[in-house]
Amino acid sequence: MDYKYIEQLLQRYWECETSLEEEAILRAFFSQKDIPEELKRYASLFEAERQMAEEAHLPADFDERLRRKLGESEPHVKARSLKWNLTLRPLFQAAALVAIFLTFGLAMRLGWQKPDVEIASVEQQPGDSTSIKMVDETTAEGDLQLDSVPAEAKTE
Amino acid sequence: MREASTACHASLSSERSGSLWNDVLPLKDKLFRLALRITLNRAEAEDVVQDTLLRVWNERGKWQQIRSLEAFSLTVCRNLALDRQKRASATDAPLTEREHEMRNPLPQPDELVLRKERLRLVRETMDSLPEMQRTLMLLRDVEGKTYKEIAETLAVSEAQVKVYLHRARQRIKKTIEEIENYGL
Repeated sequence: MDYKYIEQLLQRYWECETSLEEEAILRAFFSQKDIPEELKRYASLFEAERQMAEEAHLPADFDERLRRKLGESEPHVKARSLKWNLTLRPLFQAAALVAIFLTFGLAMRLGWQKPDVEIASVEQQPGDSTSIKMVDETTAEGDLQLDSVPAEAKTE
Repeated sequence: MREASTACHASLSSERSGSLWNDVLPLKDKLFRLALRITLNRAEAEDVVQDTLLRVWNERGKWQQIRSLEAFSLTVCRNLALDRQKRASATDAPLTEREHEMRNPLPQPDELVLRKERLRLVRETMDSLPEMQRTLMLLRDVEGKTYKEIAETLAVSEAQVKVYLHRARQRIKKTIEEIENYGL
């Protein structure tokens, strides 16, 4: 088998001319069991690097110790349970606000509502007819002629 | 209702610390390898990682301005490891597992003994490299970082990264050839 490519890669590796991908090829090659005799000597470098990656792991309780340490340095946040009336307070406030608006709105609508037609004056015309003068807010004023108004209506 | 509001508070509390466990903690083994390469002592390296994670977490207000949280964490870890090394005047003590391994040699077939001895010498050479070269070899050959990422982490130029890495690799190559030429 021709190992020229691997030898070339190694040569470039020593000169720092290899890419990360080419270095990965070298690592994969030297992780095999059957390495040719002439290249065996270099296997120890890649094995040493592999060992470095594998053996350097923190102990299992590291996270827990860090959590405790962090608890000491961080201000303690205590969970606090709320009573039901405190929890619903925003809802009550919103309902109260709506009720106030509705009351005011209704009061304004009733308070300022005017009849569309107002009777300005009632005049007795000669004969039996009665003239009623009206003021219409929207169409200005106008007259209504009543020819036969009952006597009771006239006196009222 | 009471359970619901308590659960709500609890979830808010876990949300506050979520980033530490999701963004920073997954880096712990990388940080440990780096700290170990610098201090060459597991207990020291462990303390360095813990301090690094706490420091990075306490600076979470600046995370928006940081381009790579990993590079930032590695830089903090390296600086803390160097500080600790200076304070303790740490020597290049062999790692605990290797000490144990050396104290209790098991009978091995010749080929296996030879391979192990080669490996031990190469590791010794790697550990005896100057700190910058050790760190560089780790970041490139173990962590698979680009020259640009390494330069950013170590605050040096890419050209300097290549120079230091070249020196480190040449030193290892020389050791390997010496073993081959002059024997173990």
